[in-house]
Amino acid sequence: MPHPEDLRQCESNQKGDWVMKRTYLLLICLAIAAVLSACGGGGGSSDAVTATGPIKIWYSDNAQEITWGKATVKAWNQDHPKEKVTGQEIPAGETSEAVIQAAITAGNAPCLVWNVAPAAVPQFQRAGGLVPLDSFEGGVKYARERTGDRVDQYFSPDGKLYQLPWKSNPVMIIYNKKLFEEAGLDPENPELATYDEFRQSAETLNSELGIAPIWPSADQTFFQAWFDYYPTFIAATGGDQLVENGKAQFDSGTGLDVGEFWRSMYEAGLIPQESPQVDAFAEEKSAMNIAGPWAVAVYTDLDWDVVPVPTPDGKSPEDIYTFSDAKNVSIFSACKNQKTAFEYMKFATSEENDRKFLEMTGQMPLREGLEEEYADFFEENPLYAKFAEQASRTVEVPNVENSVQMWQRFRNAYSESVIFGKEPVDKAFAAAAKDIEELVKGHGR
Amino acid sequence: MTTVAKSPATPAGRRRAFGSVAGFLALCFGAFLFVFPFYYMVVGALQAEPDVSISGAFPPPGELSLTNFHTINERVPLLRALFNSVVYTGGVILGTLIIGILAGYALSRLRWRGRSLVLNLVLLTLIIPFQLLMIPMYVLIVRGWGLADSYLGMILPFLVNSTAVFIFRQFFMQLPEDMLDAARIDGASELRILTQIVLPLSKPAILTAALITFIGPWNEFLWPFLVTKKAEMQPLAVALANYISSVAASTANPFGAILAGAVVLAVPAVVLFVIFQRYFVESETSTSLKE
Amino acid sequence: MRSARYIGYLFILPYLTFLGLFLAFPLGFAVWMSFYDYFFAAPGAQVERPFVGLGNYHDLLLRDETFRTTLGNIFVFIAVNVPLTVALALVLAAALNARLPGQMFFRTSYYLPYVTASVAVVAVWGYLFFSEGLVNHILGNLAPHPSWLVNEFWAMIVIALLVTWKQLGYYVLLYLAALQSIPRHLYEAADVDGAGALGKFWNVTVPGLRPVTMLVVILSTIIGANLFTEPYLLTNGGGPVNQTLSPILYMYQIGIEQADAGYAAAIGVTMAIVVLAIAAAQRFVLERE
Repeated sequence: MPHPEDLRQCESNQKGDWVMKRTYLLLICLAIAAVLSACGGGGGSSDAVTATGPIKIWYSDNAQEITWGKATVKAWNQDHPKEKVTGQEIPAGETSEAVIQAAITAGNAPCLVWNVAPAAVPQFQRAGGLVPLDSFEGGVKYARERTGDRVDQYFSPDGKLYQLPWKSNPVMIIYNKKLFEEAGLDPENPELATYDEFRQSAETLNSELGIAPIWPSADQTFFQAWFDYYPTFIAATGGDQLVENGKAQFDSGTGLDVGEFWRSMYEAGLIPQESPQVDAFAEEKSAMNIAGPWAVAVYTDLDWDVVPVPTPDGKSPEDIYTFSDAKNVSIFSACKNQKTAFEYMKFATSEENDRKFLEMTGQMPLREGLEEEYADFFEENPLYAKFAEQASRTVEVPNVENSVQMWQRFRNAYSESVIFGKEPVDKAFAAAAKDIEELVKGHGR
Repeated sequence: MTTVAKSPATPAGRRRAFGSVAGFLALCFGAFLFVFPFYYMVVGALQAEPDVSISGAFPPPGELSLTNFHTINERVPLLRALFNSVVYTGGVILGTLIIGILAGYALSRLRWRGRSLVLNLVLLTLIIPFQLLMIPMYVLIVRGWGLADSYLGMILPFLVNSTAVFIFRQFFMQLPEDMLDAARIDGASELRILTQIVLPLSKPAILTAALITFIGPWNEFLWPFLVTKKAEMQPLAVALANYISSVAASTANPFGAILAGAVVLAVPAVVLFVIFQRYFVESETSTSLKE
Repeated sequence: MRSARYIGYLFILPYLTFLGLFLAFPLGFAVWMSFYDYFFAAPGAQVERPFVGLGNYHDLLLRDETFRTTLGNIFVFIAVNVPLTVALALVLAAALNARLPGQMFFRTSYYLPYVTASVAVVAVWGYLFFSEGLVNHILGNLAPHPSWLVNEFWAMIVIALLVTWKQLGYYVLLYLAALQSIPRHLYEAADVDGAGALGKFWNVTVPGLRPVTMLVVILSTIIGANLFTEPYLLTNGGGPVNQTLSPILYMYQIGIEQADAGYAAAIGVTMAIVVLAIAAAQRFVLERE
């Protein structure tokens, strides 16, 4: 016996068919419309390069930089009412690079970001997110006049300059004088120049005080190598980058020595294999830190001094190079009024504003002749003077394709071999070198 | 379930009594283990200095303070973030209730072609990880429709909770067909049947669905983070996640501050659940989820 | 009568639209992306995104050691989480069903972790398990070196325990519901045979709950395979030597932090296929018994 439901079904079949088709057709139209709307949206036209008007900028989330940023914006706005600058702190995120990349993708990046890591520039540039200084009259010239020949390190493979070198935090070793004295080491002239001396001091600190002599982060994030391996590598090789001309520089000779140096300290238990949960130097859980001049404003309660990073056989300080830890400024293609952005960029990096920046944050503007130009400031602030002296000898990250992936790959190898000792350093570095050389050619992974 | 009565004096009865006592003790111990982290969360949030010793877990009331709440409030405006969470979650619950009830009803009581296909599609939503869809969705919502930094942008991908659709379907399936048929014969439209007959009977299902739907957006920290760049738009889960990963290390008592944020995030959910759990548990036990 | 037909379409339309826009479209786009060397560019930017066919999949499956590590990790996770979940949920549901005093309190406490935000829960677990946390204080010399979350062996297990604890309430309720449907007379028969509580549990309860057990196994496997939040928040990026890196976390790192969308999409699609296959296999195996 057919169920009444089935009979009803037969009746309404035809009408139902048509309605069903109409429904699904509607859905398909909606989906297409959605896709089309997503693919639309043009970017900044070429008129944007000469356009002037209000702009938005992002500062970093460093408290002193924000203060400087706000003051500079205020000064500009007073003289340029028609080209108002609105500034905000960079939105929080896992890494500022991810935040900026998301903004580029969404097409809502600000005109200027005062926190662009040189390592991320290749990625932003590949995404079409940046406007090169070459597009502006006198753009590159301005950069070269301000920074000198070091600006060459910041050009992209296509020959254009997508970032203005802005400031650096030359990486050096800072040490806690009080703790050194307690451990029986000379606080005025500590023996930290050669690897042997450094290890000796480290062992003394550890056995006398029971703390870590130095406690770099054990995190795996791609930029961590900039604060342990890379500065010492640069110093030991006299200024080599991780990769030069497509060839890895770290997997032989000096590069391996540097790796073994760090390995020996982890192996001896001098450095914990866990990242510190707090600021170890501030809490006196470590006697040294590897830091830049930003430290002056942060560690105000401690009595400390600064020396260059160690090298295998000891070099005289004037010959030691280190990592620049630079952050630069770039103009983003989503900007509608790029001429204003360019003018503001020049304004905020003038001699006067660079000075204000130096005074407010202690970080070193990437300016040629820094020491002479602001000599009076450094006379009053001898700690800063040491960093300033080092600032003329800094090396940058290589500007290559897949730069972020390259650093991640290196960090993985470093972590596995140096920090955790799961693999011999030479094997791990060799494997990483092979992968990295592929990466910088521009081949995916 | 009532057990067949046997006096505890007999051997079998004594075994059962012992079993019950042992089971009860085990249950107590288990409950203690389950609840302890929450207790510890509150304790940690109220301690100005972290005290990780065993005695530190049971501090005298005199030592408790609200410093940590102040610390985290300096970087993360707790009330504003809480408000954002409420708007975000409320929007999702509203969308789920409206669209989900319609869908649940259609999937259970109405006949139409393609019904089982859609049912399987719903199952698919549980399998596909959200993170895979996240990036194309980001392009669609932020770039295509310009919904960055808006509540709508946060809400849209979560607008209808598929588990809730399931719950409605299961619940509606249990309604007697004759009741609905009687109404149909009387000439009532499906919409009227739904609103005037079915819904009043569905309070447990609605509450359960609302509670389950609540959990998603309240906890969600990835998507709103992508969509909002302005700190004042971010819901509390996002703000707390960011705080944990970037800022906490620079404060004096990072754990305390984080736990303070955690307490603020957890308390509303816990309170809501405790209040409504009666309906929740009851209706869950009466709608067995079958595939 | 006739209206019932297209009313169905009308009612389901909003939901279908939602699914179309926020499930079908992104999924389709993601699959499409996985065949290209795809990365996201500024709107309107002219960039080259070469078609690479199965290139991403090839690199992923044959040359990516990290991905293999993640698969191993998730296997460890599932091996701990699923049996533990089934066993605990079953036992708890049976215990809760026995009308012991304080039932409401017990039910609330076992469900509490499920309704709490992962962010909040991870915070307190991190506090409990870090190298100087309460757990290590209690264990004293038995504490593992290096500490739990950076320990190669224990890190993933801690995460598995955390997730089991967090999700248990949901499965307990599934079992509680199903317990109602076991016929009373089976228990009575067992009583007559002189079975004690344990005997009844093994011979009546467990077999009677087999369909729900199957559901619990499949659900917890699917959810486990898509593990993301806890490793991301607790150990952020896999801890030492990627020991807690889950496949979806890896996908997120590649897609968002390294902006390599095509490769990330390949990971996601692969995982979706793997999960579907496992779920289907589980269903097949469990239905056979």
